[in-house]
Amino acid sequence: MKIRYWGVRGSFAMCGKEFLRYGGNTTSVELVTAAGARLLVDLGTGATEYAKTLMAGEFGQGKGTLTVLLSHTHLDHIQGLPFFTPFFIKGNQFRILGADPAGSSLKGTLQNQLAPHYSPLNGLENLAAGVSIESFLPGSELTIDEFEVTTAAVPHGTMWTTGFRIKADDRVVTFLSDVEYPAPHRPTREAFALAAGADLLVHDAMHDDAAYAMARGWGHSPVSAGVHLAGAAGVGKLVLFHHSPDATDAQIDKLVEAAQARTSIPVSAAAEGAYHEV
Amino acid sequence: MPGRATVRYGGQTSCVEVRTSAGTTVIVDAGTGLRALGQKLARDSGGAARRHHILLSHVHWDHIQGLPFFEPAYSSGNTVEVYALLTAADELQQVIGGITRHEFFPVPLEAIPAEINFHEVDPGVVMTIEDVTILPFALNHPFGAVGYRLDADGTSVAYVSDTAPFTDVLHKQHFLSGPEPLSDEDRRVLAEMRGALVAAVRGCDTVIYDTHFLPEEYARFPHYGHSTPDQALEIVAGNDVRRLILYHHAPSHTDDQMDEIAARYKEQGAAVGVDVITACEGMSLAVGPRGPA
Ligand SMILES: [Zn+2]
Ligand SMILES: [Zn+2]
Ligand SMILES: [Zn+2]
Repeated sequence: MKIRYWGVRGSFAMCGKEFLRYGGNTTSVELVTAAGARLLVDLGTGATEYAKTLMAGEFGQGKGTLTVLLSHTHLDHIQGLPFFTPFFIKGNQFRILGADPAGSSLKGTLQNQLAPHYSPLNGLENLAAGVSIESFLPGSELTIDEFEVTTAAVPHGTMWTTGFRIKADDRVVTFLSDVEYPAPHRPTREAFALAAGADLLVHDAMHDDAAYAMARGWGHSPVSAGVHLAGAAGVGKLVLFHHSPDATDAQIDKLVEAAQARTSIPVSAAAEGAYHEV
Repeated sequence: MPGRATVRYGGQTSCVEVRTSAGTTVIVDAGTGLRALGQKLARDSGGAARRHHILLSHVHWDHIQGLPFFEPAYSSGNTVEVYALLTAADELQQVIGGITRHEFFPVPLEAIPAEINFHEVDPGVVMTIEDVTILPFALNHPFGAVGYRLDADGTSVAYVSDTAPFTDVLHKQHFLSGPEPLSDEDRRVLAEMRGALVAAVRGCDTVIYDTHFLPEEYARFPHYGHSTPDQALEIVAGNDVRRLILYHHAPSHTDDQMDEIAARYKEQGAAVGVDVITACEGMSLAVGPRGPA
């Protein structure tokens, strides 16, 4: 299985020279099996770059099918939706799977994103492709083509997000973005179970440990939370993700260095356009 | 638009700061550019309480998504006055509040420490903010948009974004999959809109204009609600406008393409007596003979 990072930035898309190497687009990650089955996680602005590669193939002719998992509906994880060009081609088929936000529905939330005040698309019904929006309960097991996905709710400030354990080609990738544990060294049982023995762990690393003191309760992890979980859960590789909008390339280099000094597990920071062979 | 292709002209969405010599700041549009502007204003205030004014052209995402990241809104004591075209100020509050619903953003509007007030803008009805006189005028964009002429320091600048030319009806409140046939009434309304725009920008030192498309792109998407530099020149040429700023660049246009566009329209503008400048992020221009540097 291959994992490719199309958007790695948290909260806010960042433009400019200081963000070129790791990239300024918000979250979107693609998984591809050896046989070519694909799965996309999140629809941040990075998804619009991914869309360009899809349009060059069968999606450009209206013959593509794809499933998208959403961790949650904070804007940085869905703001690529109105600009995801394969949605505008008749014949393409999409499933968007995610949990219902508290007190609301997944479909209602995405519909609201495209409400006429906010978007000239004026609602999901105006997307030319077939887009089916399906809610699941966190904790569900999903089978999507060759992917077996375990889902679980993990804490994210005053709300929660869905973490994913994705298995294919006999390999496991765990995706834990937008998560804040009761303490950096106390992952929740659900998060631990998702990460246990994973070959690769993609983890929220929004704050460096010093900045975290000021940001406690905002719903994101310091780098040390991922480092700790990776060690405790025995993962093969740790990938720092959801980089702070203020973190320049040089600062992210330093975060990786500092994290690597504290663990023997290989640590890297997700970079736009890069991939890992799992 | 993050990435290598937009490093020089910038990839942030719509946001412009207008500052008078007396120090009044009026912000026009609250796209992603507002985040960095808010950081600067917070620094400049040195912690003193401030009142900030934000004029919105309309509430499409690219014009409002910086709002939840506007740093001065997170200091109590500050006030943020938001002006927009909507039928009622409470509806405006709902729509702007809607972008910070918990599904979309972790901090709800009620929990934002600054005081936030909403004001409804009425095209043709002049408003005053400190030493700035503001004339809003209607634009031709899906669901409606509004442009502004700002007069201060004995000079004026107009902000005309987002708008299509006045040949198709785009301002109505329904989805358009393409241009629709025009009735006589539609033609009359479009002519009136265009007339009000031409009158509003007349004599402006500087006009900032939605020039999203090149002519060949516009021909494919006439119903998207954006203009070409040629259409902007048609509005300002012979209308006593010194300078036209190309603005609201298409996300697909790279820096290299923008260089070509800038050169091509510099020349076309010069031919009709208008100085054409292509906006880039961080650019700061003195407006009028008595404007601040
Ligand atoms: Zn996020
Ligand atoms: Zn989030
Ligand atoms: Zn716009």
